[in-house]
Amino acid sequence: MEQLLNNIGQNMFVLFGLLAVGGAGILIFSKSAVHSVIGFLFSMICVAGCFLSLQAEFLGVAQLLVYAGGIVVLFLFVVMLVELTKYQEKGIFQTQTKFAIPLVGLGLLVFAAIFRGTLFGSSAPEALTLQQGLVGATENLGNAQAVSRGLFANFLLPFEILSVILLVALVGAIVLAKSERV
Amino acid sequence: MVSMNAVLLISFLLWMVGVAGVLIRRNALVILMCVELMLNAANLNLIAFARLSGTVHGQAFALLVMGFAAAEVAVGLALVVALYRKKGNIQVDEINLLKG
Repeated sequence: MEQLLNNIGQNMFVLFGLLAVGGAGILIFSKSAVHSVIGFLFSMICVAGCFLSLQAEFLGVAQLLVYAGGIVVLFLFVVMLVELTKYQEKGIFQTQTKFAIPLVGLGLLVFAAIFRGTLFGSSAPEALTLQQGLVGATENLGNAQAVSRGLFANFLLPFEILSVILLVALVGAIVLAKSERV
Repeated sequence: MVSMNAVLLISFLLWMVGVAGVLIRRNALVILMCVELMLNAANLNLIAFARLSGTVHGQAFALLVMGFAAAEVAVGLALVVALYRKKGNIQVDEINLLKG
């Protein structure tokens, strides 16, 4: 128990990560679209927990706001809008499945081999550990302030480009979803 | 202290589940959600490596990726709605408008 508590950051991260993978599994394997969205919501909340246990507090909260608050609601709206019950899916797996499953298995094997060679093999470097502090974040400068300094000092141009992309996406979504008769 | 191996393994698993979903499922909504999963796996790696190097650049970039993902979802869902108007369902198997 004491050992468990000593390594609480790591254990929390692994717990949230495995729960996120489980939610992703629900997302893929459930037949009803609403259940898929619920699995997605669960997975996103757990990823936010992962961010928090990596000491990225601002990003964790932003993840909760953007995904659990915005994107999941958007998905639920579309699920209600498109009336999936009218079209009975023959099964969740369709024609491409018999090619897709071996492909996914092959990818898993290749990456497992790479991981075994680089991270866990005999020639592996000593286990990397994350540094405790952040360079920008001193005692009286929180995580959000450090992130905003990094964002506006080093990524100002990408930030402005992103704002234009968001505007274009807004206009594009309205044009695409507008009914043709109007 | 979170070990880097755990982060890499978890984010790899999350990404692989996303790839499997895109390849296996034929429902356009589920495919969009799986793309979001893959973006989140990449975000996890960005944050972990930012923490490893001790700078905030990775975290700032993860924030940009998050905004980009929101824009992508808006356009993708508009496409799904337009597709539903045209075909009456959203199975990507049934989209054959460009077939000669």
